[in-house]
Amino acid sequence: MGTVHARSLDPLPMHGPELGVQADDIESAHIEPEPNQEVLENKDVVVQRVHIDGLGRTKEDLLTYEIADVFRAKNLIDVMRKSHAARQKLLRLGIFRKVEVVIDTSRGADALPNGLDVTFEVTELRRLTGSYSTMVGNNEGSMVMGLKLPNVFGRAEKLTCQFSYGTKETSYGVSFFKPQPGNFERNLTFNAYKVTGQFPWSSLRETDRGISAELSFPLWKTSQTLKWEGVWRELGCLARTASFAIREESGHSLKSSLSHSMSIDTRNSSILPRKGGLLKIHQELAGYTGGDASFLKEDFEIQLNKSLFWDSVLSASLWGGLLLPIGERATSIADRFYLGGPTSIRGFSMYSMGPQSEGDYLGGEAYWAGGLHLYTPLPFRPGKGGFGDLFRTHFFLNAGNLCNLNYGEGPQAHLKKLAECIRWSYGLGVLLRLGNIARLELNYCIPMGVQSGDRICDGVQFGAGIRFL
Amino acid sequence: MAAPEELFCWEGDWGLPSISTECLVVLAYAKFAGAPLSLRKISNPWRSPSGLLPALRTNQKTVLSRPSEIIIHLRKQKYNADFDLSAKEGADSLAFISLMEEKLAPALIYTFWGESANYVEVTRRWHAEHMPFPLRFFLPSWIQSQQLEKLRLLRGDDVLDVSGELEKELYHDAFECMNLLSQRLGSHKFFFGDSPSSLDAYVFGHLAPILKSKLPNGKLQQHLRNLDNLSNFCSNILLLYFPRDPNREGGTSTVTPQPEGGDLDHVPNKRMKQFLSVIVAMGAMLSYALVTGMVSLEHFHTKVQEEPQDSQPITAQHHYQEEEGEG
Amino acid sequence: MSLATEAFMSQIAAAEPWPENATLYQPLREDQILLSDCASSLAVQAFLRMCGLPVQVVCRANAEYMSPSGKIPFIHVGNQVVSELGPIVQFTKAKGHSLSAGLDDVQRAEMKAYMELVNNMLLTAELYVQWCDDATATEISRPRYSSPYSWPLNNILAFQKQWEVRRKMNAIGWGGKTLEKVYEDVSQCFQALSQRLGTQTYFFAKQPTELDALVFGHLFTILTTRLTNNELAERIKSYSNLLSFCRRIEQTYFEGKHS
Repeated sequence: MGTVHARSLDPLPMHGPELGVQADDIESAHIEPEPNQEVLENKDVVVQRVHIDGLGRTKEDLLTYEIADVFRAKNLIDVMRKSHAARQKLLRLGIFRKVEVVIDTSRGADALPNGLDVTFEVTELRRLTGSYSTMVGNNEGSMVMGLKLPNVFGRAEKLTCQFSYGTKETSYGVSFFKPQPGNFERNLTFNAYKVTGQFPWSSLRETDRGISAELSFPLWKTSQTLKWEGVWRELGCLARTASFAIREESGHSLKSSLSHSMSIDTRNSSILPRKGGLLKIHQELAGYTGGDASFLKEDFEIQLNKSLFWDSVLSASLWGGLLLPIGERATSIADRFYLGGPTSIRGFSMYSMGPQSEGDYLGGEAYWAGGLHLYTPLPFRPGKGGFGDLFRTHFFLNAGNLCNLNYGEGPQAHLKKLAECIRWSYGLGVLLRLGNIARLELNYCIPMGVQSGDRICDGVQFGAGIRFL
Repeated sequence: MAAPEELFCWEGDWGLPSISTECLVVLAYAKFAGAPLSLRKISNPWRSPSGLLPALRTNQKTVLSRPSEIIIHLRKQKYNADFDLSAKEGADSLAFISLMEEKLAPALIYTFWGESANYVEVTRRWHAEHMPFPLRFFLPSWIQSQQLEKLRLLRGDDVLDVSGELEKELYHDAFECMNLLSQRLGSHKFFFGDSPSSLDAYVFGHLAPILKSKLPNGKLQQHLRNLDNLSNFCSNILLLYFPRDPNREGGTSTVTPQPEGGDLDHVPNKRMKQFLSVIVAMGAMLSYALVTGMVSLEHFHTKVQEEPQDSQPITAQHHYQEEEGEG
Repeated sequence: MSLATEAFMSQIAAAEPWPENATLYQPLREDQILLSDCASSLAVQAFLRMCGLPVQVVCRANAEYMSPSGKIPFIHVGNQVVSELGPIVQFTKAKGHSLSAGLDDVQRAEMKAYMELVNNMLLTAELYVQWCDDATATEISRPRYSSPYSWPLNNILAFQKQWEVRRKMNAIGWGGKTLEKVYEDVSQCFQALSQRLGTQTYFFAKQPTELDALVFGHLFTILTTRLTNNELAERIKSYSNLLSFCRRIEQTYFEGKHS
């Protein structure tokens, strides 16, 4: 059985899933020129004034950047297009509930005959919103309360607090987000959190208390993120029967790391893409800014999608990662990679592949995993145009390997080690898309290349998650 | 010898002079050593000079709270029940007292405060009934959280897991401790010779509540009853040093009556609650009536009070009018 | 250790003989270990040597967190992990090695009582001196306890431990005691032990028992550990039979190890 286990211990997104047909599926509306409009197109206009009505605490200088483009419109169609784009930008700031555009001819003393006034009527979000939800997970239920303050100081800063109270563990977090005025893609985020997680496949319990600062900015076509994180990690055994190798990992440690990640995402949707590709490279260096842990970690993710005939999509993905310890200290189990489960190599139990000791999986320092999928609509297309479009069938082939490397040997030896004992699986299944956030899968899997110590889940396997191989 | 010093201790029940182990230890030792103490039996720990019970207010105006400190103080005052113990017997006393504190005391805390059936039906009920209003609503659970925290710290755990596992461990240690005490006592009347000493006081203080309380989950009591020499030891001490006093049953003592209506507790709380609710309801109705103006009294009342003599005939008239108005 | 696991372990333990690779884990000897943990660890080592069971001592910075009960020391025998002297004695008894088999009931009761005396008074006093005495805590205990960690984790852990120990002291009524009073209580404890030992070789006739191991562990560690204030060691020195007891056990079971 698969369940959502956030191995990265990142808190789940604040907003809930939106079900229903997504904007990604709708082709962007393009205005077809009609004879009347052609006439209008040729008519030159000048945008004289652009107002924004309904501002309360939002500072005006933030918005001038978003609406500046409208002034450059040359004809009426252009004005409509640019106002629509400006409206999208204003909504993207996340501080308005509703934005409406009114285009009118200029009034007043200095009105030109072809002058236009564009007014954006906005409704700001409330100062404070709260949310309450319950979550049921792996033998644990929890109550999640969230508090969101959008637009705290008037320039689209956002403060979110989340508190999760569960039968076994409690977690909480505070996050402050500040975009650069005029350039929403450049932003700064500060986080402080305490998260506890239980990992039954390793008989491990982990409590992280940390702070982080993150800077994101676009560079040419990519999106880059620089992050510093300081975490106090406490590891413990989940049960008396934990293996001794896990017992040896118990205790406290401090990790202070700098990381950089770069991603290019041209897909039309992250859950069920039809076209485009994804390249994501992430590296983390720990130990040079203090702390006990000292390592260099690299991992990458590649995905390519291509639409084929009859509404089907072929998708290929490749994941890989490497963890290099620096110094004599061995790597900690909390930093290593895990593989297996309904979200990575299907047919194997959750994170139950690779090095293990007495049934507890220790994770590995290097891994690779690849998948080939063919997504088709449901046979006979029931419910077409509505609910049925949320379902897909898929045929998949997954392969991968996870192991520890002896860094004294050369890269040839490493490649050889990763290439032997490959685990792979194939099968087919049905998936359901949950908004733009998650997807559910029900697969029939046949695992192959199983090594001793791996735990498999052949036959029917259910999975829910955000990121799938 | 100086004037008797004041000892504040918990009230008693079930035939015991006090329900608390530590108070029993001090009371027993005082009886054994012949120390005169003036007892103040209370059921509200906040009224004790140190906030804890037992508390001894000495003639030098200091307050001692731990049984060991109180015993040392009494010894200094020449009330010494360990006078004729040899050095080795003194060492053994210390050892067995430590044994009880490590192995038996945690089980006692658990059985009265941790075990849910016992806590709800006996401990909390007893405390709620004997405490004055309004402490009885929150003080028992406050004491419970303190006691469970003490249990957790004694064991050195991170989190106290009040479950069957914990109970088995604690009771196993307690049974072993009782067996060891029984073996040491053998067939003697007291632990050392024919007169009781401080070790006897400690053993009595720990075992008497187990023996005499009526708990739903009475495993400790069952085990103790099987150890005849220990049960006889406790009953013996009760008989000799704390003879049954009809006054004692009620839980009040000769000295301090409860000013806050503690006596009413014997008549069940229901009466008090009924009385209070009637008062509150009447008060609400009356104030509503006054506020909405259904009844107006004030004018006539004040006039009556201000002009007593001259307006005798008028007063009567006014009264008459008043009654009419109200009717 | 719960009863159920105890019974289960006894069954398994009895089946296997004592392996050669049994290991005992304790915090780092040079930089990290504190007086109370060192005493407990030495007591277990003495006990195992008295039973003639070989054990290797391994030092780990996170030994306290590795232990199933959170207390030092613990032994890893076969695939079982047992911590603290009491459960270890039970465990070895299940394997057929016992030092107190020859005692009668009254003697066994006394032995257990005196072991609790050491735990209740001596160990608590050691913890008090280490963590509740500001001078010792600042100069010795906190720096040593937090030595394997980097800033700011070292301060957080050290203060957390100190706070926890102080709460325990308050709960058992030692919070209001002065250092002088604690030393007096410890003297009383030493006097009781000295009385019980008398002129015998071991506490119970000619054979050592777990009580001897426990007393040796604590006394030897106090005598050989330098604190800010050597009051505890001085108090032992006034009881010559305890001193010769320590020397005797050291020579018999730890020859060549300590000088």
